Amino acid sequence: MSNMMTAADASTMPELKTDQLFINLGPQHPSTHGVLRIGLTIEGEVIVKAVPDIGYLHRGTEKLAEVRNYHHCVVLTDRWDYVSAMPNNLVFCLAAEKLAGVKTTPRADALRVIMCEMNRIASHLLFFGTYGIDLGAYTPFLYAFREREMVLDLFEMLCGARLTYNYIRLGGVMVDASPEWLKRTGEFIEYFKPRLDEYDTLLTYNPIFMARTKGVGIVTAEEAKSWALSGPNLRGSGVNYDVRKFAPYSGYENYDFDVPVGTDGSCWDRYFCRVSEMRQSVRIIEQAIAKLPAGPFMASGFAKVPKPVPGEAYAHVEASRGDLGIYLASDGGISPFRMHVHAPSFINLAMLQEKLVGMKVSDVIALLGSIDIVLGEVDR
Amino acid sequence: MTQDEFFAKLQAKFPKLEKAAAPVKDYLTVRLSSKDQIEPVAQFLKDSGFDILDMLTATDLLGPVDMKGFIRQQNFNPFLPDGATPEIESAATAGYPYRPAMDLLWSFISVENKLRVIVRLEQPREGTSVPSLVPMFKSADWQERETFDLLGIKFEGHPNLTKILTPDFTVGHPLRKDYVHVKDRFDE
Repeated sequence: MSNMMTAADASTMPELKTDQLFINLGPQHPSTHGVLRIGLTIEGEVIVKAVPDIGYLHRGTEKLAEVRNYHHCVVLTDRWDYVSAMPNNLVFCLAAEKLAGVKTTPRADALRVIMCEMNRIASHLLFFGTYGIDLGAYTPFLYAFREREMVLDLFEMLCGARLTYNYIRLGGVMVDASPEWLKRTGEFIEYFKPRLDEYDTLLTYNPIFMARTKGVGIVTAEEAKSWALSGPNLRGSGVNYDVRKFAPYSGYENYDFDVPVGTDGSCWDRYFCRVSEMRQSVRIIEQAIAKLPAGPFMASGFAKVPKPVPGEAYAHVEASRGDLGIYLASDGGISPFRMHVHAPSFINLAMLQEKLVGMKVSDVIALLGSIDIVLGEVDR
Repeated sequence: MTQDEFFAKLQAKFPKLEKAAAPVKDYLTVRLSSKDQIEPVAQFLKDSGFDILDMLTATDLLGPVDMKGFIRQQNFNPFLPDGATPEIESAATAGYPYRPAMDLLWSFISVENKLRVIVRLEQPREGTSVPSLVPMFKSADWQERETFDLLGIKFEGHPNLTKILTPDFTVGHPLRKDYVHVKDRFDE
């Protein structure tokens, strides 16, 4: 026993060199949440180099938009962030409406807000469940999907789709919400509120979970701004930037809600921002249903084949993963001359190559999961 | 601070800057006259609170997109009745100033001032090359690689200007208007 070397002895022997080892993380690894490959070079347990490799899911939607008319383009938007497709629909419609100078109706705006917030809940529930799995807690996933199913059922009831909705259309929404749907949504909200406390007991304040995430993967506010992070990743670092407050759209200025902000920018803070955001989404949905204005759900003024006058417009919304923006340029033709997607997942992921260096192998998944990426949006 | 107040401040520092004739709707859009200006302007913006480089992209102004380059079948609308001629989806619009140029766009935001500034720069279309902003803003890293990959614009001083989205065997830059798909091993 006495001549066996321990880890402590090894650290006091600097001349003892270990070889560097190259590991492929992904692209078919369940914890990478899609087809992301990271080339990791490790020395012992410590990462010395990380090279994220993306593009496996690149479908060229920006190019495809250049040969489709504006109504067709809404279908393309569903396929970026397929976990929360409503904000994708919304941001394209906002940009196209700005370009064409069409105003939506108050009822359409309220319905858009309800759907986007419902989708935020569904998306954050997926994050909550899969982040637990990433760190070895399987049970919260089952609870999260129980509630996520209910949200998807409500979406299916309203627009017939569970994943790629194409519900928000140019000038308004696809169909009006029936009183029956609004009643069921209200019932879901009542059912969902106590579940949030349940999640906190399951995962948020779980000592093992906190030990894996608190103080791990710290991103300071300066770093977060330099990497142009957005959404819960930026707010977890203590920067209070939420598009719903910064540049309100679709009548968000009429709702009373708070923006949860973290303190030190660790994985737990990013996680906690998302869980707290679900509570705020519940508040917004309650208010929106209570004061849902009557009237048409679709504005008149959009032609079957719109031809906006030449010009450029930019619209951005607070999607589930951050600040999702669309830059649209029109040359007066029936399809966009140029469409550029400011995809939050793509920009949030870029910090990985630098933040992973110096971390332990076991913390890689903790950091990657806390960024909450969807590869459909990273690659577009 | 309003848009006009900030523009006055910007113009006091850089007298040659001017507002873009065709701005991005609702946002303060300034147009640079040469590529040497982008670094000092970005540094000034960073120092005056615009410390997030939110977006970086470019537009190819050559003309309407060449559909033959990547659409296999011209009449790709399956709902058109037999014999119907489809509306050409990429026809040129009369009166639009198409020209062989790349229109670059940088977008900065200031959280404190609730303002967004869009900086534009037009460059010749062939061999476009502009200074990289990676030393100032880390977010420029992947966005410059994306712009290089999809539009073929080079960024001088970028530490790792390589393809990011398209596969290694893709020839050309897909978002250029004259892009023609070269058959690869995934075509039948």
